[in-house]
Amino acid sequence: MVHFSAEEKAAITSLWGKVNVEDAGGEALGRLLVVYPWTQRFFDNFGNLSSASAIMGNPKVKAHGKKVLTSFGDAVKNMDNLKGTFAKLSELHCDKLHVDPENFRLLGNVLVCVLAHHFGKEFTPQVQAAYQKVVAGVANALAHKYH
Amino acid sequence: MLSAQERAQVAQVWDLIAGHEAAFGAELLLRLFTVYPSTKTYFPHLGSCADKAQLLSHGRRMLEAVGVAVQHLDNLRAALRPLADLHAQVLRVDPSNFPLLIQCFQVVLASHLQDEFTVEMQAAWDKFLTGVAVVLTEKYR
Repeated sequence: MVHFSAEEKAAITSLWGKVNVEDAGGEALGRLLVVYPWTQRFFDNFGNLSSASAIMGNPKVKAHGKKVLTSFGDAVKNMDNLKGTFAKLSELHCDKLHVDPENFRLLGNVLVCVLAHHFGKEFTPQVQAAYQKVVAGVANALAHKYH
Repeated sequence: MLSAQERAQVAQVWDLIAGHEAAFGAELLLRLFTVYPSTKTYFPHLGSCADKAQLLSHGRRMLEAVGVAVQHLDNLRAALRPLADLHAQVLRVDPSNFPLLIQCFQVVLASHLQDEFTVEMQAAWDKFLTGVAVVLTEKYR
């Protein structure tokens, strides 16, 4: 089980407090679909994904991104129990959505880039390290119930 | 491998880095070592805690090599042959580490360039660096 120090938790929580979950969610999901286009395989019914600008402006991408990142917010509130927090979602992603857990790692990395883009110099190496740790924890938690 | 548009994006990214190879390279290494401490095992000569001068010096060398790759998008294999040989015969960095370096590179660019670093540039740069990593590791066996 991943353990977060007090400093890591503080860094993660304080930055998260300044995140616009709706904007960041859409940005993160959009960037995932642009930078790693094979991830579009899960979103055939999202309409126009034919170009970077189409993807970034797509209302379904934005809405789904917001949903995903709101859920990620639960991770920030439950860093000591990521596996428990995401148990149900893990089952869903395995049994119903059939998502390769590698996609959780890709999205986590893209989210880190979005935060770096938004926060600039405030996103120090130490803050990045804390966030890479929590996104890896979430990815593992989401993969945990796979069978 | 890279479309004409992607090559233009890669060139655009390089234009924002050129002249700052040492600074970007040093931050890249600092982030790599901070976020993924196991990568320090490949840099024993940088000491257990690399100082600023060492990071700047090695960072600059790495970014200059990236610059060489940017200038030779048509022929990465030929341009990077010495480095590919070095990685295969001497350095033998496990291929799983290259995505870690690429992630840190994206974070350096995103945090420094912010809105100048568009999503298209991020996509092209990721594709380009992944291609470089393939060339650097393809002689491993």
